Amino acid sequence: MGDAVVGVVANPLSGRDIRRLVTQASVFPTAEKASMIQRMLTAFQAVGVDRVLLSTDLGGISAAVLRAIGQRRSQGVRLPEVEFLDGRPIRQTAQDTVDAVRRMVGAGARVVVCLGGDGTARVAATAIGDAAMLPLSTGTNNVFPVVREATIAGLAAGLVATGAVPEQDATTRAKLLEARAGGRAEIALVDVAVSTERHVGARAVWDPATLTQVFCAFAEPDAIGLSSILGQLAPVGRREPRGVLAGIAAGAPRRVLAPIAPGLVALVGVTRVEQMLPGTAYPIEARAGVIAVDGERELTFGPGDQPTVRLRTDGPRCVDVPAVLAASARLGLLVPDVPAPTV
Amino acid sequence: MTDTLERKTLTREQLLDAYRTMRAIREFEERVHREFATGEIPGFVHLYAGEEASAAGVCLSLDDRDTIASTHRGHGHCIAKGVDVGEMMAEIYGRRTGSCHGKGGSMHIADLSKGMLGANGIVGGGPPLICGTALAAKIKGTGGVGVAFFGDGGSNQGTTLESMNLACVWNLPAIFIAENNGYAESTASAWSVASDNIADRAAGFGMPGVIVDGFDFFAVYEAASEAIARARQGGGPTLVEMKFTRYFGHFEGDQQTYRADEVEHARAELDCLARFAARVTETGELTQADLDAIDAEIGAEIDKAVHDAKAAPLPTEADLLTDVYVRY
Repeated sequence: MGDAVVGVVANPLSGRDIRRLVTQASVFPTAEKASMIQRMLTAFQAVGVDRVLLSTDLGGISAAVLRAIGQRRSQGVRLPEVEFLDGRPIRQTAQDTVDAVRRMVGAGARVVVCLGGDGTARVAATAIGDAAMLPLSTGTNNVFPVVREATIAGLAAGLVATGAVPEQDATTRAKLLEARAGGRAEIALVDVAVSTERHVGARAVWDPATLTQVFCAFAEPDAIGLSSILGQLAPVGRREPRGVLAGIAAGAPRRVLAPIAPGLVALVGVTRVEQMLPGTAYPIEARAGVIAVDGERELTFGPGDQPTVRLRTDGPRCVDVPAVLAASARLGLLVPDVPAPTV
Repeated sequence: MTDTLERKTLTREQLLDAYRTMRAIREFEERVHREFATGEIPGFVHLYAGEEASAAGVCLSLDDRDTIASTHRGHGHCIAKGVDVGEMMAEIYGRRTGSCHGKGGSMHIADLSKGMLGANGIVGGGPPLICGTALAAKIKGTGGVGVAFFGDGGSNQGTTLESMNLACVWNLPAIFIAENNGYAESTASAWSVASDNIADRAAGFGMPGVIVDGFDFFAVYEAASEAIARARQGGGPTLVEMKFTRYFGHFEGDQQTYRADEVEHARAELDCLARFAARVTETGELTQADLDAIDAEIGAEIDKAVHDAKAAPLPTEADLLTDVYVRY
């Protein structure tokens, strides 16, 4: 058995939360998630991936892939060896993603493709260690995961896993934000927002009137979600070694029209904008409320918790799909009739 | 109409109500579980323990204008919509003092005065009923909504799908609450529900469909209150899927050979009452003493309900022909 191993974790619940009700967000069908995995398997086979580790779920994705693989193999289609990571209870919580990624990395996956939205990528990042991740968008709010054809993502992941594209051309290290409150901590890959709501509840944040602060690891002018508040006021790129934060207040004289969720463009009042430097713990000013990481309420805090947010530059390594395929073009990796130059 | 923010900020009284409802359901069901084992309760009972956040989180946004239709697992919905627990217990014991004078039993508890159209022995029987009440509310302009609770088994019934279609075609103030506890009797929903997520079916009818952690009262309340407000404003139907686990078998006596450790896991890690209590005491919205007082009050209320039910008379031959036809 070869050692070019790729993991694929698919969140069956991504693209299903309350934003379908409150902001007309899109639905990402289970069948399409299964089809994306199949398209990736085709790409993995084409570039010589030996083994693929797939997450299992109760949402029907792994079942659909299992059925399809059997059918395709019976028709003579060659596919890499596929192993479903079953045998452990599925709890239908974020812990399923953490467990799956951990098992994939433990079993030698050099790249883990994550199908989900920002929430899925964030959870996978906590377990990825030094392997590379390739977050692929199938969620609601997609800033961190790329919207990209799965076949192309599969080729890129495969070229990295086989070592055909050298490491320095293949991945970039993401930044992350670490939110702490009273001994508890959560990470975010894009933004941390502070809301005056008291409970985690349905998780999503869609009411700008409840926001008091937003911290961004990066803020792109074309982003969707809470980082868009700063994307127009003080953009920060994914690779810049700094972040940006802002105070939010409904009555502030400076206002920005921001697409804070799919289907929701809100006028948000911004009191001040400040740079975030890596390593510094920036205080959360509200006395009590809830901290949302990448748009989902996760951490509640009260007086005495002294919540802070810190920018870190040691986030997950992520596969840079255009860079991998550019390197592949340079090296002639997908041009089989021409001998590839030595790497 | 209150705005989104106001709806989400629950008052102390609302939080106390929510806890009281969930505790009453849990205590009621655990007591029925114990009493059923003595052999004194006739017929079948299907217990709702574990699913309390759904009934309580949905019904907190309902009022006297609104109607709900329930399932064979209906005790929780009845309690959350305000049906008297003493009359419910008497009904389960088959006594004349019961909600339906002892002739319905667990699966047919109804109280139209509370907008509770009935538990229902027919799987998928509830959704068509609330299309009727939602249509009535729409025509009369009352602002009322109809809410159908049904299970993952019920989600596969033609009646449920027809009702969703009708509700969307007529843009009815109807809310479909799919309580997916993982099993239709002993058949896993992961195996029997073709779309895997029941909520995904909403897209086919052109209505919003969302998935909610059914163990989390606050998540349920937020989603349900948004769906109900939308329906009241003329926005049409919504499908909300609760994902959770029931703590007892399909019916009392079910050996549950089809389940692994999920109940132990849910009771230890996910329980709606424990999570609610931890949250509201942490934020200081309620105190442990507030919750203890409700526990004591509910304990006494359920004791009395059982005591009174056992002491109440059974229907007689003379009751056989009464209430056979009811004018609504």
